[in-house]
Amino acid sequence: MSLPFRFARRLEVNNKRSTSYRISGAIAGLVASGLLLLLTSRNPIRLLGQSLDAIFGSQRGIEGVMVQSIPILMCAIGVALSLRMKIWNIGSDGQFLMGAFAAVGVGTKLDVPHWLLIILMALIASIAGAAWILIPALARAYWGVNEIITTLLLNFVALQLVLWSALGFWRDKKSQVTQSTEAVKAVLPRFPGLDSVSISFIVPIVLAVLFWFVFRSTRVGYEIDMIGGNANAAEFAGINVKRRIVTVMLLTGAIAGLGGMLQLTGAPGAQALSGGFSNRFGLSGFIVAALAGASFAGVLVAGLFISAMFYAGIALQTKGLSVYIIFGIYGVVLVGIAVGETMARFRLTRTDPTSAATTTGASA
Amino acid sequence: MGESINLAVEAKGISKSFGGVLALDNVNLELRKGEVHALLGENGAGKTTLSNILAGLYRADGGTVLVDGAEREFHSPSQAIEAGIGMVHQHFRLVPPMTVAENLHLGSPDTPAIVSQKKLVASARRMMDEIGLEVDPTARVWQLSVGEQQRVEILRVLARGAKVLILDEPTAVLTAQEAKDLFVVIRRLVAGGRTVVFISHKLNEVIEISDRITVLRGGKHVVTRDAAGATPRELARLMTGEELDNSVEHRTVDGSVVLDLIDVFARNHRGIEALHGVNLQVRSGEILGIAGVSGNGQTELSEVVTGLRRTQSGSISIAGTDVTGGTTRSIAELGVGHIPEDRIGVGMAGSASVKDNAILRHYRSSELSSGTRLKRGSVIDFAKRLVAAGRVQTRSINMPAGQMSGGNQQRLVAKRESMIADRLLVAAHPTRGLDVLATKEVQSAIVERRDNGCAVLMISDDLDEVMLMSDRIAVMYEGRVMGIFDRSQFDRERIGMLMGGQVEGAPS
Repeated sequence: MSLPFRFARRLEVNNKRSTSYRISGAIAGLVASGLLLLLTSRNPIRLLGQSLDAIFGSQRGIEGVMVQSIPILMCAIGVALSLRMKIWNIGSDGQFLMGAFAAVGVGTKLDVPHWLLIILMALIASIAGAAWILIPALARAYWGVNEIITTLLLNFVALQLVLWSALGFWRDKKSQVTQSTEAVKAVLPRFPGLDSVSISFIVPIVLAVLFWFVFRSTRVGYEIDMIGGNANAAEFAGINVKRRIVTVMLLTGAIAGLGGMLQLTGAPGAQALSGGFSNRFGLSGFIVAALAGASFAGVLVAGLFISAMFYAGIALQTKGLSVYIIFGIYGVVLVGIAVGETMARFRLTRTDPTSAATTTGASA
Repeated sequence: MGESINLAVEAKGISKSFGGVLALDNVNLELRKGEVHALLGENGAGKTTLSNILAGLYRADGGTVLVDGAEREFHSPSQAIEAGIGMVHQHFRLVPPMTVAENLHLGSPDTPAIVSQKKLVASARRMMDEIGLEVDPTARVWQLSVGEQQRVEILRVLARGAKVLILDEPTAVLTAQEAKDLFVVIRRLVAGGRTVVFISHKLNEVIEISDRITVLRGGKHVVTRDAAGATPRELARLMTGEELDNSVEHRTVDGSVVLDLIDVFARNHRGIEALHGVNLQVRSGEILGIAGVSGNGQTELSEVVTGLRRTQSGSISIAGTDVTGGTTRSIAELGVGHIPEDRIGVGMAGSASVKDNAILRHYRSSELSSGTRLKRGSVIDFAKRLVAAGRVQTRSINMPAGQMSGGNQQRLVAKRESMIADRLLVAAHPTRGLDVLATKEVQSAIVERRDNGCAVLMISDDLDEVMLMSDRIAVMYEGRVMGIFDRSQFDRERIGMLMGGQVEGAPS
């Protein structure tokens, strides 16, 4: 079995190459999706045109993408932060919901000036998001319990709690639609010059820039990266790994929780809590963070890209495309990006017929 | 003609290059039936490349390989095995959760498609009887010691009918006792008519185990000679091409006590007591060597001193400061460097860059950071300086440290730790796995620290190294210090007895 070419692992993966390979992967995924659409006798070029038109054709489209991106980016930033430490927080959906849950509790019950209410809601939502990851964080740091399972399972608990509140103890009794809580009393102001985007759009941007700086030029960022690289080595160097794990995990929960509050007070038509409050933002956020390779500049780009795809998907549904085809397209594009990411680590070389097995043994 | 009948393998004029670099240049090798043939050379000399060609992993660019007098060409390891040449690699290729019997049958063409555990165990027992090597066939590989795992690897190769067994640095991963056991196995195999190729750069063991020695240097054949009568000094000269001054100057010092352990008790990671009331002092300007068979508390000793492990009782002080229960950070800040036993698992992060690993001990210093910020320019300068001073060969300081060779990773950690060791350097097996030149470099660096007034606690299970380097030797056995020898009292036999727990060897 000998092919004329083979893949050789690159010793160094530079960021520029990695980025361009990911983008090429996304394009390849779109092309492959187009071929699939052709097979179902739809015109992919026309659908692409309609998607681009839906997104870029009007201010409404661009604003729609921005609205969509806020919860996704908030979750993605939290996940990316923990990924730098090689910690997989799959529970940002739950933390997001718990943030919204706590904010609803404050935002529908308290009678204080609106500016104060907003601040209180942001605080309590962050605390609730952090609290929701406290047990997984302590379990991971002190007893080595795998955080993937604990954080994932708590998502379902959070969802049930939200449903219970929406259907039960906080149900809006005046409403005919009986499956939601009352709307919060205070909302965030609109972004100047925009119709549907609130000023909450600034928050993920500021956070991403902040963390980009932290990991580029601060000691804390370096320490977190070293813990991600090898926790034993970090401990060897005197970094308090356990405490750092707990702090970072609580912070990721707080960011997702704050995301819940921003959605509740900023997104059009989302001022009350219901079972469908989170459109799997945590999952999308996770995909974004993984695609971005936990780089914070990458999170912004990938987050906006995924949000645009989401938004275009909604628009295409109105053109009679089934939601499953749209999920299929997401999937193919994501696989394309993942393959591109892996390809960036390899290079294609002509097979040296004498060294067919160089990958299995180092030279002396 | 009688000569060629006795040859198991004859390699003629083998050449091989990688990406334009000549790794082997017209090398000849003759392996006789029933001999232990050592391949000796520094890292990069071509030992592993040559054996990989014989074992079918690489194909040579030029030259021929004759097996039992017939020319053969291998396109894969399985073809080499069919011809009777098998190799045991330095890194084992076993499946840890599977049993020994399962591992022995894995990938073998003789394993039937449908098998029961019982049949596998029975067939494994038959193999072991035929070959004369024993490992519990029902044990799972992860439960075995490194030495036993190696025996499974050897069994696996021999069970495929290998007549020529290539062992790539087999003792690098073994304790002294396991190495002795391996030598017994090797002697038994050659007595049965097999040929063993023994790759190593440890001169003493090569002289001990081999019948003949082939020395390679820079991809060229230097000499093939009988092992009888060879001296380490002569072999080192052949390997490195230069005369090495392998001596260390010693003197008695009466510097102040830097490290003081009083009645220290500690448990190992399984909760079993590993240190039983250790009393030790290391003075400024001396190297105290710890001799002992590994697993007698040396690892735990290095860990309690550097703050990686808690003590149960007793006290530890460094330069007069009580550090019992101190953190790794507070201890390092007293000027304590630590070259840890497991450099790759503990001393560095392989996926992080050389630069990030270089600053691991220094990033908090005012040179590299101000407040919470890291000074990026200074970090790069510092890493470049450390790499140059430690003679770390790397293409870029941004490359992941784990992709450098093991020797270079070790140089990086050793230099980084020496740089913070103003008062005390704890060096655990500092030269393990290094070739002759690199060993010499690391040893010189430790001596240089000592001469600058640093106290050195050196742990090694290589008694030759301990005797060469130490100004005093403490022998450890089952978590106790059995005796401490001044340089004038050094006596290999008495130290060896104490290492085995026999108190008659204790110094007066």
